[in-house]
Amino acid sequence: MSRTKRISVSVAGLAVAVVFAFPTYWMISSAVKPRGDIITTSYDLFPVHLTFSHFVDAVEKPGFGIYLRNSLMVTLGALACALVAGLLAAIPLSRMRFRGKRGFLMLVLCAQLAPFEALLIPMYLLMRQFNLDTKLTSLLLIYFVSTLPFTVWTLRGFINGIPADLEEAAQVDGAGRWGAFWRVTFPLLGPGLVATSVYAFITAWNEFLYAFVLMQDSSHYTLPVWLATFQTAFGTDWGGSMAASTLFTIPVLVFFLVVQRNLVGGMTAGAVKG
Amino acid sequence: MSVDTNAVLPGRNTTPAARDQRRRPAPSRRPRARRQVLPYLLLAPAVLAILALLGYPVVTVVITSFQQLDLGQLVRHETVWVGFANYREILSDPDFWTITVRTLVFTAACVASIVLGGLVTAQLMRHAGKVVRMIMQIALLLAWAMPVISATTVFQWIFDQNYGILNKTLVALGLHGFTGYDWFSTGPSTLTIIVILLAWQGIPFAAFTIYAGLLTIPADLYEAASIDGAKPRQAFGAVTWPALKPIVMITVFLEILWDFKVLTQVWVIRNGGPDGGSTTLSVLQYLDGISGHHYGVAAAVSVLMILIIIAVTAQYIRLLVRAQEVEI
Repeated sequence: MSRTKRISVSVAGLAVAVVFAFPTYWMISSAVKPRGDIITTSYDLFPVHLTFSHFVDAVEKPGFGIYLRNSLMVTLGALACALVAGLLAAIPLSRMRFRGKRGFLMLVLCAQLAPFEALLIPMYLLMRQFNLDTKLTSLLLIYFVSTLPFTVWTLRGFINGIPADLEEAAQVDGAGRWGAFWRVTFPLLGPGLVATSVYAFITAWNEFLYAFVLMQDSSHYTLPVWLATFQTAFGTDWGGSMAASTLFTIPVLVFFLVVQRNLVGGMTAGAVKG
Repeated sequence: MSVDTNAVLPGRNTTPAARDQRRRPAPSRRPRARRQVLPYLLLAPAVLAILALLGYPVVTVVITSFQQLDLGQLVRHETVWVGFANYREILSDPDFWTITVRTLVFTAACVASIVLGGLVTAQLMRHAGKVVRMIMQIALLLAWAMPVISATTVFQWIFDQNYGILNKTLVALGLHGFTGYDWFSTGPSTLTIIVILLAWQGIPFAAFTIYAGLLTIPADLYEAASIDGAKPRQAFGAVTWPALKPIVMITVFLEILWDFKVLTQVWVIRNGGPDGGSTTLSVLQYLDGISGHHYGVAAAVSVLMILIIIAVTAQYIRLLVRAQEVEI
């Protein structure tokens, strides 16, 4: 690649990075500005005075601990269920031949097609029917099934992308069918498992609508609902809102940092050279 | 995405056992019955969850759309069948058609900006140096990681009429007309900002997905192409695009589904306002059902939404199925 081209790619890349990072930066920098520096007409791209009072206010609000626990429970529960059920389903859909396979693939596709926002009413009626409409279990179930089709589909794609030759080579070397899968394909699935976990975590953690509609009792609020009420309760308290949003974003960031190294795949290139 | 060596799906006249025989010269010692049960056992948890938690609500929403189900009937457990009355009410309302067209245009704008943005960003990541790529990935992760509610709040704050950083920046650049400019004063302007918000939130996922696809393309193919004298553009057409097309198609497909039904951002920004100007179909359904307690009418809107989604994406499903036939 020529020098000019390399520089222009770098400049464009950095410009993209600035655009995507700016709202996060703006959220954090607004959260640490004193109230007087937020509602001002002077130009203030960088904070001048720092304060953590917005964060202290947010955490000390009644119920914060409960909402945090509720959010963690439904998110991690749904993630675990989706990953286990998704991987189990992805294996036959990628590697096995059986009657009705196309039908099952279509079912997963149709499940992906289901617009959850358009199922608000029947879902409410269903959960009401089983007396779950105000319980956290209903959210766990909804988040599980809303992330499951994507998990199945993506893991199947990743398994498809790992050449079956590798497994067949292991089988020729004497490994059983399952031994070949667990020892050869599964370790290469790391990026796929990470990608689907990240997706499931974000989807469930961020979900606002069902939590907002179903969780009528404030002791069952999740953090997104709390964030929304935070805004209404305090009007245009941008500092407080931004501090609460920052706190809400931290677990997602930690999760990302833990898994980030596994995100880049491509380990199979060169493994099946003649 | 798949450089799979598995064969094309065999014709319908071959039995599964015969296919297995053909595929694997050395027959497995396991009995045939167990091999046939295993796939279904592995699929069972996922299939049961989908049928109970998705299939059942889909059936219910259709049934409910033929009922008059308001708060009274719900509390008294009454079933009042009204035939197509809910549908007649909606379809004879000119507002419904305005909202439908608005929703389709909104969806197209979102999908186009997210997929094109994702493609460009993924290519930039692939060609950028290590440091720049790392910075890009961190920035994209920050955007991707930002919760919907937080992002929506931050965007409202950025676009704030009096103290928003956007207006302040525009004024500082000499555009004094933007002093106190209200970005949310009209429906189209409000929806444009929602499109920008959705693109900002959606591009990271599209970019990472496409970038992961770019990485699965073996470097040998590019070497071979360059040895054969292919220019970068030719290499893109001959090597990158064929391998990338399935992933891009899946991204388009997913984005249509996600963006058409989007509700949280539209609702939180201006509750479908000003004056109903940013009301999309999902907001309409929410207003009828959850706010208005007309569950039957809302269910009818939901059913129409589902029908529109099927109509819009049928082509893509057909493409996906066709792609699988040559790739499974």
